Amino acid sequence: MNAPLPRIDLPPDTAAPAWQARLSLAFAQRDARTVLTRREHLGPLRLQKALYPEGEAICHGIVLHPPAGIAGGDQLSIEVEVGTGAHALLTTPGAGKWYRSNGADGRLTQHLSVAAGGVLEWLPQENIVFDRAQAHMDTTVRLSTGATLIAMDMTALGRHGSGERFDAGTLAQTLRVECDGRPLWLEQIRLHGSDPLLHAACGLAGRPVFGSLIAIGNGLDDALLAACRALPVTHGDGVITRLPELLVARYVGARCEAGRAWFSQLWQLLRPALTGRAAQTPRIWNT
Amino acid sequence: MSLARIRLLQLSSPTLPVGAYTYSQGLEWAAEAGTVTDEASANAWIGGLMHSAMARFEAPLAARLLAVWNAGDDARVAQLNTDFLASREAAELRAETVQMGYSLVRLLRDLPAFRDLPGMNDRLAAIDTPAFPTAWTAAASAWQIPAREALPAYLWAWLENQVMAAIKVVPLGQSAGQRLLAALGDDIPALASTALTLPEAEWSNFTPGLALASCHHETQYSRLFRS
Repeated sequence: MNAPLPRIDLPPDTAAPAWQARLSLAFAQRDARTVLTRREHLGPLRLQKALYPEGEAICHGIVLHPPAGIAGGDQLSIEVEVGTGAHALLTTPGAGKWYRSNGADGRLTQHLSVAAGGVLEWLPQENIVFDRAQAHMDTTVRLSTGATLIAMDMTALGRHGSGERFDAGTLAQTLRVECDGRPLWLEQIRLHGSDPLLHAACGLAGRPVFGSLIAIGNGLDDALLAACRALPVTHGDGVITRLPELLVARYVGARCEAGRAWFSQLWQLLRPALTGRAAQTPRIWNT
Repeated sequence: MSLARIRLLQLSSPTLPVGAYTYSQGLEWAAEAGTVTDEASANAWIGGLMHSAMARFEAPLAARLLAVWNAGDDARVAQLNTDFLASREAAELRAETVQMGYSLVRLLRDLPAFRDLPGMNDRLAAIDTPAFPTAWTAAASAWQIPAREALPAYLWAWLENQVMAAIKVVPLGQSAGQRLLAALGDDIPALASTALTLPEAEWSNFTPGLALASCHHETQYSRLFRS
């Protein structure tokens, strides 16, 4: 285990050393087993060891971010490759924190790819974007026809637990999902602390938390859409739509916990439908 | 007035038979949910969308489309078209632009003023599943309408359609509709200029309130509009 160093919210004039970190993983099928065939890292990004809590066919991994969070100037990159027939489930041990910046951008670039017959469940916990953070998150998912993907992301603007709002700073978040080079989903978020969209009815209407869950694979049909729609959201607003080749659930609300609980219920319906595997909530989600 | 401007008026008119009047883009749900109840809240909803989803994504993308149609870079046209389709975050919003694009392509194919221009018909026919802005900018390119005139007209046509939807669903009177068009129309020149120069890395299609409204509209019990 890496002993996490405490990383505090530094005043803007403090020159904190920036992290340069990279993690590159590849999963492949060997007989009935999913094995980790590449695990390269540079800097403080790590994969906690490969785990097989539900048998050897599915490899679970926990991606550890740099100690405590990401600050201005940090540059992180994550690459994940899932080969034909392999099945990987990746999550994170806690919320990703994006600290108030000293002026520089923090940047996380993620490239995920899934081959035909491969399955990737990409289930990181939420990102918390502190006031005055300059957060750039860029995720590209490249699928081959016949690949399965269940991916979620959730973002909280400001530490609302302590009453902080996102009054200044930048969030630039892009998610692009392609299948054989064709874009299936493109979400490009450019938000500033003073953005009218934070309060506009067509924007966030004052709610600090938003997220989406995307499912792609064989088995998406109207019956599954109806079953997903029957799951209630306890706090906030949650909706589901079906587009060609994907199903998208979207949450907007005041609390990450409510969004995460709803996504978790949706995942428990989607996982068996798309992968034929029963869903057991990863233990890390309960901690 | 030049012929190009006459063509632009035709392209931006609510009589363009592409079915725009059947779509509210979530406004019908916003009225149902009590978010839009009067002239002021209609101004906030429509104006909010015009400043965000339109000015920061659809209009800059339409500006790029027009530029690459003009430059003859049809591979880039096709990429922008698929990006636009992938950026539609709810089933009805995607269906809307696909249907309107399809109808506009068919209309243009039947118009001698477009069809008889060399090349353009074949170039447009080569685009798989053309979205509405893709077909619209093909016509603007064929008719040599300058971007600085095309973009304000594109925003205006969208605004006019949204205000007509508001008149029906809120409901609002005709005078209120005209006040909305005049007030929100004030912003169009500046938004169109920004759209012409906004770099692609700054485009933003983040309008979660619209995404929620559009998805809720899919299961709305009683409705007049298709989005």
